[in-house]
Amino acid sequence: MLTKTPLFVHFLAAFAIAAVLPMLLPSYVLATEILLFGLAVIGCNLLLGYTGLLSFGQALFFGSGSYFAGLMSIHLNLGIVPTLLITMALGALIAILVGVFAIRRAGIYFIMLTLAFAQLGYYIAFLAEPITGGEDGLLDIQRPALSIPFVAKFEFDSDFSFYALTGAIFIVVFVLMQRLVKSPLGTVLTAIKQNEARAEAIGYNVKLYKIVVFAFSGSVTALAGALYAFMLKFAPLSNIDLETSSQILFMTILGGLGSIYGSVLGSAVFLVASDFFAELWPRWMILLGLLLIFVMLYMPGGVSKSLEDLFAKISAAKDQRGKKP
Amino acid sequence: MIYFLMGVGLTIIFGMMNFVNFAHGVFYALGAFICYQVIQVTGSYWIGLILTPILIGAVAYILEKILITKLYRVDHAVQILITIGLMLIIREGILIIWGTVPKPVATPSILQGVIFLGDFVYPKYRLFIIAISAGIGLGVWYLLERTRFGITIRAGSENPKMVSLLGVDTDRLFALTFVFGVALAGIAGALLAPIRGADAFSGDEALGIAFVVVVIGGMGSFSGALLGGLIVGLVQSFTAILWPEGTKVMIYSVMALIILLRPNGLFGKA
Repeated sequence: MLTKTPLFVHFLAAFAIAAVLPMLLPSYVLATEILLFGLAVIGCNLLLGYTGLLSFGQALFFGSGSYFAGLMSIHLNLGIVPTLLITMALGALIAILVGVFAIRRAGIYFIMLTLAFAQLGYYIAFLAEPITGGEDGLLDIQRPALSIPFVAKFEFDSDFSFYALTGAIFIVVFVLMQRLVKSPLGTVLTAIKQNEARAEAIGYNVKLYKIVVFAFSGSVTALAGALYAFMLKFAPLSNIDLETSSQILFMTILGGLGSIYGSVLGSAVFLVASDFFAELWPRWMILLGLLLIFVMLYMPGGVSKSLEDLFAKISAAKDQRGKKP
Repeated sequence: MIYFLMGVGLTIIFGMMNFVNFAHGVFYALGAFICYQVIQVTGSYWIGLILTPILIGAVAYILEKILITKLYRVDHAVQILITIGLMLIIREGILIIWGTVPKPVATPSILQGVIFLGDFVYPKYRLFIIAISAGIGLGVWYLLERTRFGITIRAGSENPKMVSLLGVDTDRLFALTFVFGVALAGIAGALLAPIRGADAFSGDEALGIAFVVVVIGGMGSFSGALLGGLIVGLVQSFTAILWPEGTKVMIYSVMALIILLRPNGLFGKA
């Protein structure tokens, strides 16, 4: 973790992920989902993996991201870049609000508070039917176009073009996040995770740092929610519910805490597995539940950690064989 | 009162075992379905009400033995996700057995109709729920505060190692506590079934409410759960008059407010 990998290596890696994914998967839609949930998982990992804050309310940021972006595309028609940037700013704002309240408490109360705020958001979205569509969700969302004046105008109507857009955003965010966690800020976050009292004693304003990381998490998660709404052309109420929160959390732990690469892996494993289970059986959630329990019990470090262990074992076995004459 | 009943099981399990049970809500839903099924078979609501906690307790006992017992020493995050997995499995199980359409449960004939209390008209069945919940509450209080079992449970929550060294079988103690807390959720489900019906998806809402009750009162505090239940009930009734759609929003707002003023909940320990 402490090794300094140059940023362009991460850039190449992200590019490779985005390029290879659709070749391995049956559809661009699934690949798009993996990348955008990967972003949401990175957002969750910033809190849990790097700072040690278990937020059970990530769906609040995800869901409000999809509502904001959807509403802007319907009422304002700003084009893709301003829409997404404003969504991220609003996501950060909501996250700061939640963060300011939630970080007053630690441990289980912190988890409960994030959960309560997410539920609050859910019921507000449910009630505000004239704006959000209530239970039916926000319908008729159009994907805004990217227009560069006098040069070109890109539309994202096809599955492929939308995947390309998501992929480009993914690469940018991925690299920025790698930069963030290796920055002095990221180091302080890790310090807070490892020993909060000490970080405080050294003189860091732990509360402020926690709020900042909430803001980052909120904006990245809102971005993912916005892309999801554009992908579906629809913002369902379920984007902001308990289940979305727990899914994002599960993907995060599945992929491995404190790893940006793991985040993408967690999202990929989860979505491919759900996709596979869903075709097997209408009651596929049972299998998902079993998978969840299995992973939690036997792979506490997540898939990426288990893979590392496996590689370590294989190479150790090779070494052993090499030593024998 | 019913909110108290939902919260108290959760708070006992958390307070005594330091275990966060996100499957608590689905046990509430399962309670309603078991009650429905028993009524289908025997035709009597009363048998349903008595058998439900026993059957739910049995389910909880088996789960404790094969799964929950491994989780006492792990992180809260892991407990939460595993119990969410459990929740998914039980909920989908309910859907497989009973289908996706919520099942109605009839109010027993003796409790149908209303009672006039001065100027107030009150449905008999709701009064019955209040009486039963109060009775159960008293029973739980007596059990925890006045019996040997209660003393060992409370001691076990303070220092499991020490209690175990003193010759108490803590594994058995924890199993009983878990079964007991879950059975309380099951009773709540069975009691509410004639009002709300048996709905597989009611678990999420019940879980949310149970957590609000417990967080308001302070995790692990019995009297806190009682007070939390009362507060949630009052907020619910008042908003139901003034702003019927907004009850949930108000409940969660009140919770956030209380946490801000009293970060440990009203009766919580740090």
